[in-house]
Amino acid sequence: MRHILPILILAGTAFAQATKPAAIPRMPDGKPDMSGVWQRPFVQDMTKDGPGQKGEPNPPFTEWSKANLVEEFDYSAFCLPLGYTRAINSPMPVEIVQRPDRVVLLYEMNNTFHVVFTDGRPHPKDLDPTWFGHSIGKWNGDVLTVDTVGFNGKTRVDTQGHPHTDALHVVETFKLTDADHIAYEVTVEDPKAYTHPWKNTRTFTKRKDWEIMEYNCNENNKEVMEGHLKYPGAK
Amino acid sequence: MHRYALFCLFALGLVALPLAAHHSFATVFDMNKPTTFTGTVTKVEWTNPHAWFYVDVKDEKGVVRNYACETGPPNVLSRNGWKKDSLKIGDTVNVSAYRAKDGTDTFSTRQVTMPDGRKVFAGSAADEGK
Repeated sequence: MRHILPILILAGTAFAQATKPAAIPRMPDGKPDMSGVWQRPFVQDMTKDGPGQKGEPNPPFTEWSKANLVEEFDYSAFCLPLGYTRAINSPMPVEIVQRPDRVVLLYEMNNTFHVVFTDGRPHPKDLDPTWFGHSIGKWNGDVLTVDTVGFNGKTRVDTQGHPHTDALHVVETFKLTDADHIAYEVTVEDPKAYTHPWKNTRTFTKRKDWEIMEYNCNENNKEVMEGHLKYPGAK
Repeated sequence: MHRYALFCLFALGLVALPLAAHHSFATVFDMNKPTTFTGTVTKVEWTNPHAWFYVDVKDEKGVVRNYACETGPPNVLSRNGWKKDSLKIGDTVNVSAYRAKDGTDTFSTRQVTMPDGRKVFAGSAADEGK
């Protein structure tokens, strides 16, 4: 009989541990700490679902978009920057390095970095358009919302080639659901290309066993160097 | 469960999607022309943005042709269990691949059956559900 009580207590503790929400790592200031190497779904086509990915099957194309669905120039094959959303979609991991005043994304794909300012600054008023735009982040409770504008319009939304313009505005949310998973959402807004915003939702998985590795685009790019792909205007 | 099942399919080589992150696969390779061939490895290039290996293959006329076979890049292959010396010159391998649209002896590799019988997925490990 005297053995039963400890067993009940143990069982009760185990039950409590199983049902309690998993603890998430936190920064000294109490914000969730997403630092680490993350595996993400490789999304070639943001209209499609896949493991860890929910796409938008019917992007609300404007007339301009419908006329520009075909990508004439496969810019990424020529090692131009992928651009913001295609870096997000890329198959190789991203390392997140977090500080109180910024979140830094180190993309293995093309060894690209991107800085998200979380120190309260606004977007600059007179922003030069760039491949990756300008990002500011805000914490609302445990959710980080990242707002990015200032794109040059030279990229495509995904490998499939869905279009966007320089009016692109990307809003992302990151939420650690436990120590090893981020619930991620990306909303594409571009009034010139889409009649209303549309989104994808994804799950990122922490890979403590991975390090970011080197990847470059033009060491032995035979498709280009041997002419299997042609630069526009090339004979 | 779904992810595990998908992983098993990949591991068995039953599902192999053509994956290329830096260009649209369809602009170079013809998904409608999957093919398999057996040949002898003549060269391996452990390079970015894709690793390549080359195999001497006898065509239907008995003429030996050197096929250039594209795979994922070294980072992806490493995480998929390949090493830079996994394929050795002189190895006989069976290759499942897509031919380039321009008709050259250039292929995007779906799967390689190694000399020891192991079947290895040659593209991206990223969405295997691992």
